[in-house]
Amino acid sequence: MFSFIVQRLMIGIVTLFGVAVMVFLIMRVIPGDAAVMLTGAGAGAVSEAELAQVRAQLGLDRPLIVQFVDWAGHVARLDLGTSLRTGNAVFDDIARRFPYTLQIVVMATLIAVFLGIPAGVLSARYAGTWIDQSLQALSIGGLAAPSFWVGLILILGLVSFFQWSAPLLWEPFWVSPGKSFAQLIWPALAVGLRQLALIARMTRSIMLEVLGEDYIRTARAKGLSEWHVVIRHGLSNGLLPVVTLIGFEFSALFGGLIITEAVFSVPGLGQYVVASILNRDYPAAQGIVLVLAGIVVLGNLTVDLIYGWLDPRTRLRGAES
Amino acid sequence: MTTSVGVPAAADGDRAIVPDSAPVRRGRLHALGRISRRHPLGAFGAFVLLTIVVVAVGAPYIAPFDPIEGDTAALFSPPSSTYWLGTDAFGRDILSRLIYGARVSLMVGLGASLLGVVVGASLGIVAGYRGGWADIITQRVMDAMFAFPMLLLALAMAAVLGPSLQNVIIALAMPIVPRAARIARSSVLVLKATAFIEAARATGCSDLRIMVRHVLPNTFAPLLIIATAYLGLAVVQEAALDYLGAGIQEPEPSWGLMMSGAATSLALVAPWIVIFPGLAIFLMVLASNLLGDAIRDLLDPKLQRDYP
Amino acid sequence: MTIGGPSNTDAVTRRDVLKSGGAALAAAAAGPQWALAQGVPKRGGTLRVSNGGDPPDFDVHQTATYLTQFVTAPCYSTLLRVDPNDYDKLIPDLAEKTDISADGKTVTFQIRSSVNFHNGTPLTADDVIYSLERIRKPPRGIVSPRKGLLGNVDSMEARGPHTVVVHLTQPQPDFLFMVSNAFNAIMSRKVAEPLDAQGQGMKRQIVGTGPFRLTQSIDGQIYELSRFDGYFGPAPYLDKIQFFPIRGEIERGAALQGKRIDAGFFFPNEGVLQTLRKVPGMTELRRPTPTFINLIPNVQRKPFDDIRVREALSLAMDRESFIKTVGPLAGAFFHSQGLMPPGSPYSLSEAEIKQFGGYDTLPGLGGNVAANRQKAMALLEQAGVPKGFKIVILTRGDLPAFRDSAINLSAQFKNIGLDVTVDVRDTGTFYTMETTGNFQLVAHSVGIGGALPDQILGEGYTSFGGRNYGNWKDDSLDALYREQSKEIDPQKRAALIKQFQLAFLKTYYQINLAWVGYGAAHWNTVKGWKALPDLYANMQMDKVWLDA
Repeated sequence: MFSFIVQRLMIGIVTLFGVAVMVFLIMRVIPGDAAVMLTGAGAGAVSEAELAQVRAQLGLDRPLIVQFVDWAGHVARLDLGTSLRTGNAVFDDIARRFPYTLQIVVMATLIAVFLGIPAGVLSARYAGTWIDQSLQALSIGGLAAPSFWVGLILILGLVSFFQWSAPLLWEPFWVSPGKSFAQLIWPALAVGLRQLALIARMTRSIMLEVLGEDYIRTARAKGLSEWHVVIRHGLSNGLLPVVTLIGFEFSALFGGLIITEAVFSVPGLGQYVVASILNRDYPAAQGIVLVLAGIVVLGNLTVDLIYGWLDPRTRLRGAES
Repeated sequence: MTTSVGVPAAADGDRAIVPDSAPVRRGRLHALGRISRRHPLGAFGAFVLLTIVVVAVGAPYIAPFDPIEGDTAALFSPPSSTYWLGTDAFGRDILSRLIYGARVSLMVGLGASLLGVVVGASLGIVAGYRGGWADIITQRVMDAMFAFPMLLLALAMAAVLGPSLQNVIIALAMPIVPRAARIARSSVLVLKATAFIEAARATGCSDLRIMVRHVLPNTFAPLLIIATAYLGLAVVQEAALDYLGAGIQEPEPSWGLMMSGAATSLALVAPWIVIFPGLAIFLMVLASNLLGDAIRDLLDPKLQRDYP
Repeated sequence: MTIGGPSNTDAVTRRDVLKSGGAALAAAAAGPQWALAQGVPKRGGTLRVSNGGDPPDFDVHQTATYLTQFVTAPCYSTLLRVDPNDYDKLIPDLAEKTDISADGKTVTFQIRSSVNFHNGTPLTADDVIYSLERIRKPPRGIVSPRKGLLGNVDSMEARGPHTVVVHLTQPQPDFLFMVSNAFNAIMSRKVAEPLDAQGQGMKRQIVGTGPFRLTQSIDGQIYELSRFDGYFGPAPYLDKIQFFPIRGEIERGAALQGKRIDAGFFFPNEGVLQTLRKVPGMTELRRPTPTFINLIPNVQRKPFDDIRVREALSLAMDRESFIKTVGPLAGAFFHSQGLMPPGSPYSLSEAEIKQFGGYDTLPGLGGNVAANRQKAMALLEQAGVPKGFKIVILTRGDLPAFRDSAINLSAQFKNIGLDVTVDVRDTGTFYTMETTGNFQLVAHSVGIGGALPDQILGEGYTSFGGRNYGNWKDDSLDALYREQSKEIDPQKRAALIKQFQLAFLKTYYQINLAWVGYGAAHWNTVKGWKALPDLYANMQMDKVWLDA
């Protein structure tokens, strides 16, 4: 098990290195450069000489490889540099925005889990009936609705019909749960809908499979109540793939909130990453992409470990590759 | 949509997607009538997609108005007998723009998912079949692409390549590549272990021949399934790129463009501007998901578990 | 020539400055006269406003965005300031007395002696000179997009701790207004200099002499200013101002309607403003601001080097229809005759503007669009531009004023047989392509930080101005600009300004389309604030009070 963990960790680090190279190269290949954006983005006359001076100041005139090694060296020491746009340490900028995004991700996941799993179980238990069919229709629909469109329609409805407006100051959940909840529930709902549909569908198909197994038949034959069989024997055995799905979706959501945050004006990581890329804020864009990729890698690692722990075959297969 | 992972479990091909019995039963594909009776939803999906194709191809004959030329006397008209779905800020007929916009969405959806799956599958098959360093390097590159937030990868690529339909397709194919590669590779690994490939090799088939003739057909099922799943995702992501101002060129009508920019604020007084394009995207994604489900059931019912 | 002294409470108007070779300003016996009209001002309370986004940083000299200017304006002072009630009037701010020499080339500012910065250090002439030099000739690592405001300054010197003498290269009647521009904030040298040396500048702190000081700043949530008790002027009425960076227009409108905020700024499009208009107890307004939307051909690129082609583009434009469609999207409801802002005394007459191709389609001038387009096609033919010729309009994707303008243009140009595509780029790519001349045509919403002739014409319409994206070169126009800039006689200057406009319009280097108005709305409980025709002016908020 230990060597499995070490091996997975190594792969994670190599992956992050790959992401670092990619984001670094992409940011330099994108037309437009930091110097132009910093010199007022067209709000004044800027000579090529001035641009060159700004580039030199930022160290952007050095060979790419030197710039990369310099940056990667700092990153290795957990220093993401200073944002060209805000003048803050990139790490601080990210840390300040992280809680918003985290809370939306957590809330969306909770919505999805607490509604999705029961819906899936219900669907499987009453497979073929109208309950199953309507739940399935809902989840197929939920999967197809673009979340930013759902968000837009949500806002329009809330504002037009309920004169809704979001609280202005974000309160940490542990200080004022009600306020915090009220502020982020709508974006969480807009993205959670899709997760909900995914989880419901997966739970349903797994439950159908599991409920056909011999041991379920045995349990039923023992005269246990139907719900007892479904929950105790069925769900607990079929949960693993669902947990995996939740794990992947959870970590991927951090990078997937970009548009939803824009639609709801949530000052989370999504807004930051878009602003950084559009303004060619190299250190910020590179830093935040690396962090988002790190979350995905960490999520995969966690899922891997759970799998490896529960299912020794994976460990062996992992060791081969 | 933004939830990046279109086919979640597919994301991690190594354990989930591999069909236990490799060779695929393909004969079923023919009995169309029987199939549509058994899979009414799939048939519905196919019908909707087909309709969208017909509408897109016949746009100039079907659309009641020019999609670009607006009627300045009818800005923000609510749906009426003249403008069935209303007009936008430029007085352009929303129905006509939807009809023409189907072209962009179809091309983006089909183009990006096909391109992504073909490139990803080729990489995955070669890497998985060859093994060794080629495999290790491909896998690590794919891992990095996979960890890169999906929409950001597309956004960055769109900015690098510049705005044009073809570049948007390439940009949106990028995030699909690693996902397809993983699935193809893991299918290949399983196949390699079966006697089936051994036998082919024993009869003296070349590697290329084995990959094309034996491996590819047997990874076809999972690839087709993810292609349909990513079709919908690509359409949604294209809309997201438009929303961020890095998508299709104006004044080309595209469903995403129709609900981005000033349209979103104006939706407060003219909600039809954003409702209908969103519905169109919804319908198209729904149809491709339903079709994907049906194809999955047909090709390999055992796979069901892994593609919710 | 010196006018006034401590007893003279008259302010200087634009006309006065023009009339006399010299003018002086005295400290106004400050009183809340302008607020009286709205009842007796009350003290206390917190004004909650939203301005549409986070300021990327606080360095108002380095930034180009109003988001920064909005938060910093109540914290900084300028030498003189625009009268909160009259855009054409300057009143003293840091400079209690201002003298202009008889030849108009030397300006002496007498700085108030008891002004303290928010950190308690006293303000001296040294701080003023450091700040203005920082804008004019920024130290290494500091970027100054508004050098042009002080472009006519030859040198500056301190005479004693409270006197600043500015030498101009030529007389400039607009100078006092230019130097009082809200972006020319006076910073503390002691604070700024070491930070500038590090290349960071004042991005993360505000240390000014203004009526409010920054007491809290949380990105994405709140920027809180509190009354500065050491303020040199009459104490502001408000205890606090809170800025909330609500990005979405719909959310901003909803927050205002839900009384979470007292005032909201920057509603470029009509969707939200229209809804707010119907709310009882709400004041909603749209004011033209010195921001114009122009089509700018790149004269270095064929066929746009040919004046006939440029004229054809202008002729193709139905300006009234442009305003009608882009208006509700980008607030571009306004128009003017000539290059100066709507309502400017320098605007051209109807007959004068009508002689230029396509300008007779401005609202109310009764131009014949179809006839214009016939003429346009003939011109294109003469210039050898074939039918179906492909042109590309560059624009940025994130702002309606740019993007939707380009969309409208593309539809209009189809009518003269051109095949138009709109090249929508992300912000970073857009500006790089634009500043490096990598485009054919660009639709640009040009926001100028003030409405003076020297600002509008200097920045917008000279070869050396910051907005010469089209890369033309025209010495005679530049010379004409300099001539009007130094002309002290108002009549003569007005004639020169007219002459400049006529000469410029004839070249079609830029094709004017519309002027933008900024949208704002506030509950009627907000008193003492007047929207001036310049969104950067009158944002110090010291005379604003709440009638709660």
